[in-house]
Amino acid sequence: MAEGLGALLEPAAIRLAETAADRDAAIRRCGEVLVEVGAVAPAYVAAMLDREQSVSTYVGEGVAIPHGTLAGKETVLRDALAVLRFPDGVDWGGQPVTVCVAIAARGDGHVEVLGELAQILLDPDRAAALRAATDQDTVYDLLTPIEETA
Amino acid sequence: MPSRTVTVGSRTGLHARPAALFVAAAGSAPVPVKINVEGRKPVPANSMLSVLSLGAKCGTAVTISAEGDGADAVLDDLATLLARDLDADEGGSDG
Repeated sequence: MAEGLGALLEPAAIRLAETAADRDAAIRRCGEVLVEVGAVAPAYVAAMLDREQSVSTYVGEGVAIPHGTLAGKETVLRDALAVLRFPDGVDWGGQPVTVCVAIAARGDGHVEVLGELAQILLDPDRAAALRAATDQDTVYDLLTPIEETA
Repeated sequence: MPSRTVTVGSRTGLHARPAALFVAAAGSAPVPVKINVEGRKPVPANSMLSVLSLGAKCGTAVTISAEGDGADAVLDDLATLLARDLDADEGGSDG
């Protein structure tokens, strides 16, 4: 269960000191990181922007989960996540976003991964820790909790 | 308490766009609505994080429940929404 998020997130895809002037710029940065780690073709970035035009990917707790439309799936090379932190915040249609969890997914395996992420964010302490994280290990540990009593 | 059990019709599951549309509909309902998957505790249907935490895929059975005036009508509407493929009317797909 806990391996889902960790298996999709590599250290190179965790960026903690990003800046973006606005939401679209933040999404482009998310897409660029997914391209850099070899998860998607550059065309995926446009699909991410399309998705955001259609429906906001803001999920709460200062976190958004940018990802492409169904039409963009063919530009996904492998399922992967990227975590980008914007310490100064980004205005996401009126909501302040500090952390973007960018998603590249071909099938529906990421629905479980999103479920895991949502359960982490539903814990206000862990959500706050994620927003405040300044090193990769902290992010990785928060997103891949060792099986606790739950 | 009135409830409906439906299988998720959206091909990508209940997240992203389908979840956003469902959460918005549940949030505008006149009565509080809860949603759960079998074996798990019901969670507020108007919270994106709660709905995402279900991890419901296409074909997953989910149960929505509500109490109060108009609950049955609300549940009927939301059940119809859940059963539809909410990804279908998005640009670039086949709908």
